[in-house]
Amino acid sequence: MSKFILRRVIRGIVAIITFQTLLFFLMQALPYDFTAFLVLSPASRRLAQTDLGQDLPLWQQYFSWLGGFFRFDLGRSFMAWPTPVSTVLLGRAPRTLVLFFMAAVLAYLLGIWLGKMIAWRRGGIFEFGVTLVGVASYTSFAPFLGFLLINIFGWHLGWFPFHSMVDHNIWYKETVTVDWVLMRLVFSVVYVMVGIWVLGWMSRRIRFRRRRRALKLGGSVLIFLSAVIWWDQIGYLHLALDVLEHMALPLVSVVLLSFGETMLLMRTTMLETIEDEYVLTARAKGLSEAAIRERHVARNAFLPVLSRLLLNLPLVLTGSLAIEMVFQWQAMGELIFVAIDFQDIPLLLGILSIVGVLALIGHVVLDILHVYMDPRLRFAERS
Amino acid sequence: MAKHVIAAPEYTTLEIYWQGLRARWGQICSGWWEFRRNPLGVIGLALIVVFALMVIAHPILMGTIWRPTIYDPYLGFDTTILTNPSPPTSRHLLGTDGMGRDVFSQLLFGAQMSFRVGITAAIIAVTLSTIFGGMAGYFGGGVDLILMGLSDVFVLLPALVIMLILGLLVRLDWFLIALIFGVLTGLGSQSIVVKSHTLTISTKPYIEAARTAGGSHWHVLLKHIFPSLMPLALVHAVMTVVGAVLTESLLSFFSRTHEYMTWGSMIWLGQRTFRWFGMGRQWNALVPPAIAIMLFCSAFYLVGRALDDIVNPRLRNR
Repeated sequence: MSKFILRRVIRGIVAIITFQTLLFFLMQALPYDFTAFLVLSPASRRLAQTDLGQDLPLWQQYFSWLGGFFRFDLGRSFMAWPTPVSTVLLGRAPRTLVLFFMAAVLAYLLGIWLGKMIAWRRGGIFEFGVTLVGVASYTSFAPFLGFLLINIFGWHLGWFPFHSMVDHNIWYKETVTVDWVLMRLVFSVVYVMVGIWVLGWMSRRIRFRRRRRALKLGGSVLIFLSAVIWWDQIGYLHLALDVLEHMALPLVSVVLLSFGETMLLMRTTMLETIEDEYVLTARAKGLSEAAIRERHVARNAFLPVLSRLLLNLPLVLTGSLAIEMVFQWQAMGELIFVAIDFQDIPLLLGILSIVGVLALIGHVVLDILHVYMDPRLRFAERS
Repeated sequence: MAKHVIAAPEYTTLEIYWQGLRARWGQICSGWWEFRRNPLGVIGLALIVVFALMVIAHPILMGTIWRPTIYDPYLGFDTTILTNPSPPTSRHLLGTDGMGRDVFSQLLFGAQMSFRVGITAAIIAVTLSTIFGGMAGYFGGGVDLILMGLSDVFVLLPALVIMLILGLLVRLDWFLIALIFGVLTGLGSQSIVVKSHTLTISTKPYIEAARTAGGSHWHVLLKHIFPSLMPLALVHAVMTVVGAVLTESLLSFFSRTHEYMTWGSMIWLGQRTFRWFGMGRQWNALVPPAIAIMLFCSAFYLVGRALDDIVNPRLRNR
């Protein structure tokens, strides 16, 4: 086992070095450099190139970049010159986290629930309709869905704002930044979700269903209210509400775009586990249909879906360029566009390598977990 | 033992090929019977046929009843229409866009582009993943280590961002988009799946029998491993079309490609001229290409799902 882990980790490190090399030389092959976008005389342009470190030989640049990368130093952004890339990325992180990770989690919950339902009621108009909706969600064109939502709910009905990330009429006299509020919003969302999860875990002991439900519902409302009261106490409740109001349309569109894939995958894995013998045993024991579905089938079918979630989560950082563009949500994807247009090489390398490293860690951890959980694979590795 | 031995009749080479063809045809027929039982798959196939008819119709219409100066998807202009964009009329079935070009003609032309991109990407991806994944799974050892190390790297590259970056370096036309997408998916995630599938195939007795009978590694790969990977490859091919067309449309929507007219660039131009609001009055340049992209990808996805049900026998009898 330890030999397998060692070998997998070494393979991961080799992969990340190859990946970095590939990215670096891809960036260096681009036709201009950043100083071409500045209005400069040739002499001062050369000076700027020296300042940015672009006049060094290529191998020297490559090794300094690679060495810096392994020391968690991504270099300095060209556009925001003395600022390190990591600071620029951390500045944008709350916007991506609060919108796209929340949307990803919501989409997964919705997809898993719907997939469970259509696998259980197989055959019939319900499955047909929900499958069609899921396929439509998987294949619909992201910008057009954005336009549709903006037109219906933003323009004709006027329910949600859609011009920008925040309402400037409220924010201009405030002393805090949007990112500050967003970061605390991330924390409060995590707090509410963890709280509800812990509550559900604790209330499993209670025998009576009605008391259990009452405790769950009341506890959830209390946790939510405590978060709201905290926002009110620090005096920024109206700012949080403003951000949430502006986030509604992009959130809904990301959820609509991504729940279909999970749903269809969940349905397939559910159908694979439904035929197993232990399901028959559970039914013979006289368990209720809901108990079989939740505790026996769904729990086993959930693992491949969870591994897909882990693999896809880093790609959320780059996968939502269109939604960010349509809703004017200036997060990671918008940064990628600007960095490509102005050839801000360190920034671009930084984004892509962070996404790559996170995805690679996901792959390695999943491989190891897979072998760890499946004894057949473990013994095959040993022999 | 001896009573099972039948004297081999003497066939000519032509007859052997003919019998092989008949066996394949029988497989295809039984597969078709399975496929027909899946209503969603049949709907998808019908949609693909409709899109194929659209591709055929465009050059025929341009050659016969549509005058190229008016109906050309890129350069056409109708002087009888005074204000562009205009709503649908009998002359222009879906109206005209902001520059006076016929939307219906653009839609038909875009179907051709989508087919080109999707099918080229699918062929490239499936060829690469079958060869590389099959070889990695069959040989194992050093070959496996090198090829899977390669796909470890390719899995990490997001196709859309890579194409946006490469768009500064080269002219991104449909073939390059298909090539990049095909290489990234084929060498990346697909060859990992194909490799694990090959591992289950290569432990089967008939592979061992072929080796014992004196078949070389290449013979086994070409005659036994690759043919048994074909059904999986078909599913992967159909699924690649979906990703390739969606990526190409997004790139065209960001106006980073060098194609004259695709569905993505139609949406880009439509939202530029019509603005985002008031789509109720001027829907005709935005809605048709968006619906077309969705239906095209859905069609291939549904067919892929139906094929997956046939190829994956665990799910077949339910």
